Amino acid sequence: MIETIYIEKKIKNHPRTKSILKKFKKSRFIEIDKYAEIFNKRNQNFRIQKANPNLILAHKNDGFVLRTPEGFGIGSSKNFYFSHMYNCIYDCRYCFLQGMFSSANYVIFVNFEDFDASIKNVIDQNINYKITFFSGYDCDSLALENVTGFAKHILPIFQQYPEVEIEFRTKSIQREPFMSIEPMENVIMAYSLIPDLMSSSLDNKVPSISKRIQVISDLALRGWKIGLRFDPLIHGKDWKFLYEDLLEKVYNSIPLEAIHSVSVGPLRFPKKMFKDIFNLHPHEPLFTSPLYSNDGIISYDTNIEEEMSVFCKNLTLKYLDNSQIFRCYA
Amino acid sequence: MNKSEFLNKMSVRWVIALKEEAKVILDYYEMALINKKTLYPIFKNIEETHWLILSGIGRHNSAAATSYLYIISNASKWTSWINIGIAGSGKGDYGNIYLVDKIFNQNSYITYPATMPKSNLPKMSLLTTDIPITNYSSKELIDMEGSAFFDIASKLTSKEFICIMKIISDGPENNIKQLTKLRIIELLKLNLTKIAQVVSYYENLSENENQIKEKPEIFFKISSNWHFSVTQLSQLENLLRRLKVFCDNNEIMDLIKQSKSSSSVINSLNNKIKTNKVNWSDI
Ligand code: SF4
Repeated sequence: MIETIYIEKKIKNHPRTKSILKKFKKSRFIEIDKYAEIFNKRNQNFRIQKANPNLILAHKNDGFVLRTPEGFGIGSSKNFYFSHMYNCIYDCRYCFLQGMFSSANYVIFVNFEDFDASIKNVIDQNINYKITFFSGYDCDSLALENVTGFAKHILPIFQQYPEVEIEFRTKSIQREPFMSIEPMENVIMAYSLIPDLMSSSLDNKVPSISKRIQVISDLALRGWKIGLRFDPLIHGKDWKFLYEDLLEKVYNSIPLEAIHSVSVGPLRFPKKMFKDIFNLHPHEPLFTSPLYSNDGIISYDTNIEEEMSVFCKNLTLKYLDNSQIFRCYA
Repeated sequence: MNKSEFLNKMSVRWVIALKEEAKVILDYYEMALINKKTLYPIFKNIEETHWLILSGIGRHNSAAATSYLYIISNASKWTSWINIGIAGSGKGDYGNIYLVDKIFNQNSYITYPATMPKSNLPKMSLLTTDIPITNYSSKELIDMEGSAFFDIASKLTSKEFICIMKIISDGPENNIKQLTKLRIIELLKLNLTKIAQVVSYYENLSENENQIKEKPEIFFKISSNWHFSVTQLSQLENLLRRLKVFCDNNEIMDLIKQSKSSSSVINSLNNKIKTNKVNWSDI
């Protein structure tokens, strides 16, 4: 239940605003001038807000499509991302959003049409490159789909450009609109997974791993291409056993021909971000791991990172081709 | 945790304009005038968890009193700040209490306080004016202090720790001229249960934050036994917070008992972290 919805005056009559508001009949609506009046102000506490986040409906003015950070991608020569939303309904302890924003309220940008125009523009400007778009870098791309309808809105664009890939990365068990429409070759349904035992401690409010695997399997059988994102790799006692169990379970539950790609990524935070996250959750077991500061980045020791990546890669090679496996560093 | 431990860990500060508005609160939380010469009357309870200042009327008084109470009472970053009082209204119900979730003043400066979540109390916007207003027409709540209190309090703590509650005392149907001191006390008394409910949320919030943020006890023991530089102290605090998740104090003391210097303490603690493998099945 969202208690309060802040609505930018500029978009209060936008049809998408109206349709979103219809879903929250019991909430209190407050008109505002700019979402920045509420969101990410100084002296806000992400952790406390996260217990009861409010919703902000806003208009995005610029920066609709951006280049992904170096080291983020699944094989294309150019990678871009867009976020129709800031923040997430889940609360993963390693999530970088808690270090990026001081506010846990959800911001939904309702002017989807401006995203459309920017995406088309980027495609036109990169006609000679293989490009991939990532939906929802600053949020979970599908977790709030039943409220936003963003995926449903954006998919037809990619129907027009079959050579351009789009990845929806999620931890949700959202099936729609995907179960109701024809699968598209250039769409990757990507799922971030960590072993069950770790997930139950770290992936707060997130559907269980087994539920996620079930949805992955359903979508794969329906004909959608699947991305598996073992990212971030989490260390701990018996990690080998836990990852082996997860990977075997996944590869034995999904038709392998449906798997588009697998990526493995280490646990990494910029130093300042880590400091903020640690201050929010100083008693979090994850931060009792052997994490080091190196070149402004907090991560596990390189040996640990390497060992974990190689282990997961080797296990994956039993099922998939080397060309389908990527290492992510961002 | 027993009650007295709890009380020592939470912290609430009240900024109230009039003594009639404060009377019921002072009685309920057992606060008495402090034994010290102060610029504004200040009250506190025996445990020193609740402090209350009588600011007088107006924005300037409210702002000054809020800062003053912060200093005098040595309020922490996780202190909850509460402003409660009567307000005029052209919209709400006479005698009812409201949480404020939007504040504007005559310069059109607008702020949006966070309010206690999952509360059954209705919410309204508040106009803070410098002169008394009797044209209530379209206004939800009208007072003379709220915006100034919020501006200052939000510099002292996170916005989630600040609460403004207003009880409607006058409006188009209830002439302000008929508002007596006794009636003000009565209005507060009638809403006391609701006030206490809201305040208990803010007490818990403050207490929880204190538990999360306070330095581990063992930090003081160690830092008094070896000489640490400022940077080392911050390293020590971080390491201890991490270690406390999986080691008890005795284990930590065992690790460092042979240490001859502060760097050797830091190294020993670091080594313990280096070899830690989180046991996810224990969590
Ligand atoms: S699902 Fe992703 S975006 Fe959401 S909290 Fe977890 S890590 Fe963050």
